[in-house]
Amino acid sequence: MLRKASPYLFALPAVLVFAFTILVPIVMTFAFSFYDWNGYGEMRFIGLDNYDRALHDRIYLSSYTHIFIYIAATVVLEVLVGLGLAGLITMGRKGSSLFRVALFTPVMLPMIVVSFLWRFVYNSDFGLINTVLRAVGLDSWTQVWLGNPDTALLAICFVSGWVYAGFYMTIFYSGIQRISKDVYESAYLDGAHEGHIFFRIKVPMIRGLVKTGIMLCVLTGFQSFDLFYVMTNGGPYNSTEIVPTYLVKVVFSHMSTGYGSALAVILTLVIAALGLLANKLGRKGDALEY
Amino acid sequence: MKKWITGSMALMVVGSVVAGCGNNEESGGEDKVLRIAMGSPGEAMIAVWEEIADEFESANPGVTVEYTFQDDDTYQTVGLPNLLSGNNAPDLYFEWAGERLYNRINDGFAADITTQLEESGLGDMFAEGSYNGMTVDGKTYMIPTAGDVTNVIFYNKQVFDELGIGEPQTWAEFLAACEAVKASGMTPITVGNLDLWTAGNWIGHLLSRVVGEDAYSNALQLEEPFQSDDFVQAYTLVQELWDRGYVNDNINAISDSESDMLFLNGQAAMHPIGSWLVPTALEEAPELEMGYFNLPTIEGGKGDQGSVIGVLNGMVVNAKSSMTDEAIAFMQLYSSDESSAKLSAAGAVPITTTGLDRDNTPELSIRLNDLLAEAPTVVAPPDTGYSIEVANALNTATSQVIGGAKSPADALKQLEETVAPLKK
Repeated sequence: MLRKASPYLFALPAVLVFAFTILVPIVMTFAFSFYDWNGYGEMRFIGLDNYDRALHDRIYLSSYTHIFIYIAATVVLEVLVGLGLAGLITMGRKGSSLFRVALFTPVMLPMIVVSFLWRFVYNSDFGLINTVLRAVGLDSWTQVWLGNPDTALLAICFVSGWVYAGFYMTIFYSGIQRISKDVYESAYLDGAHEGHIFFRIKVPMIRGLVKTGIMLCVLTGFQSFDLFYVMTNGGPYNSTEIVPTYLVKVVFSHMSTGYGSALAVILTLVIAALGLLANKLGRKGDALEY
Repeated sequence: MKKWITGSMALMVVGSVVAGCGNNEESGGEDKVLRIAMGSPGEAMIAVWEEIADEFESANPGVTVEYTFQDDDTYQTVGLPNLLSGNNAPDLYFEWAGERLYNRINDGFAADITTQLEESGLGDMFAEGSYNGMTVDGKTYMIPTAGDVTNVIFYNKQVFDELGIGEPQTWAEFLAACEAVKASGMTPITVGNLDLWTAGNWIGHLLSRVVGEDAYSNALQLEEPFQSDDFVQAYTLVQELWDRGYVNDNINAISDSESDMLFLNGQAAMHPIGSWLVPTALEEAPELEMGYFNLPTIEGGKGDQGSVIGVLNGMVVNAKSSMTDEAIAFMQLYSSDESSAKLSAAGAVPITTTGLDRDNTPELSIRLNDLLAEAPTVVAPPDTGYSIEVANALNTATSQVIGGAKSPADALKQLEETVAPLKK
């Protein structure tokens, strides 16, 4: 009897820890989403009302638009720029190792520090950008970067690119380093220049890495929080509101735990659907021929 | 995302259970325990509270004082309700007067202490105005500990003197003052509205002046619509401030402290903010000559044109506590002149009539203190007196109008849409 049970007993502590920290909260969140509940008081079952409200919530719906804009912008500013930088630093020119370190430095800074730093850079009174613009006589170009709904989101995307381009660059750099030197040599003999080598050799040969990079960028896009929270906290006028910042407001400021749970469940479904879609698309044409 | 939300919920539950167990064991002794809960007032103040507790314990053998200091935000949101519904609920707890206190009374967590206040003499230690928002139907439910004027308009005296401007009494004079400052090349008003409550407080006061306190309060409780001619009229005054370039152009991009610095560095002439600016100003810019004026009167406004926006707070005796007398005795000790002196030394502004050390407290703080105590009407700020969700929606509309992003009518229309699901 005991012999039969012993494997399960050994697994029990781990299963319990997993259940209490991950499984139960997930199930509970799902359950909470059907209630009108402030987190401590009486719970009132309201069926699908929370979901209905979410689908009509202007701020919640626009926060998806913002996150998709952010993701599209960061795929370009982080992954593609990172790819370009990786191509540049693998050209073997003098000083490329210095650039490698310099470009990677922002990744090592805590996001909170970066966010505050850039808030100063964007400050409209004494910030670096406006000061420089004024100094060169482009006064009319100065902006309240983080206070203007037209520029705030892009300003945040740019900071994200500034930080993570170095991260993707490092990944792609290591991939490119593994390409055999023979390939370059024969290409040079055939008269190829650096542009050819980048687009015809380096990029195709690390295509798998680039795909992973894009996937990573899209999925971590949904997790971004700190940058938005510190730089604008969703403002001005909810123009940089993303799902996580709105969730925090709903649950911890408005004390609508039930409604917040519904928002979280919907977010999970959206991410899962995107994951499945990406998985389907990714299956096609993985083979590389050259 | 959702994992950590529920995760922290679970933690909170576990936390309170564990805390509960701890307390149970302690109360197993012979001593009676007087439990006191509040948001953390800072180390210097905690030291004073501890000192008062020691004094109280030695004067009342057999009673132990036990404090719960929570993070301010936590206490204001989940913390206090959790404590109150827990096993070892506090006997005495910190609360804000007005709407929040009324909710506690309705939920049966606030004891009517009218007779105790009279008999002990504690009630006479405060001016009548200090009880604003603490009485219902002639019954008192709170012992005042402090008050904050959450918005007056501070101004740079030097700038006003140079330009020959006096303290504006009416809205028209206020606009004229703004125009004069703007003409001199300086930003007239600086507000740091990144977190929405700063302009929210100031304009909330203006709204109450124009639409009337009742309409303001009813709208925030969703009993009357925001979309009304009066609100549009009030917001039109706000829109004018932006259109004429009287407020800083980065109003919604900078935080309250950044805005404090702009004002204290002399980059803007006026700064609408709460009484807490005074100690900051004395520390950061001691040479700055600063004055203040209450929101100027608005012609044709339906509210009390002498109203002051502010919050009073104090300690509430839990209706479910068996230690009412001890709690009153404790507050008597806390409100004594000796304790007040210690509190003043730690940076607080005591609210008792005799506790305020008028020689050693900054003059501006005293005047602000008096302003609140003598106010004919005290208006509650949107975010402390009312549902935070409605307040946020109103403050968002305010930020849109004062930032020039939306017209008054559009902002109010969107506000109505935002609060629509809450009307149930």
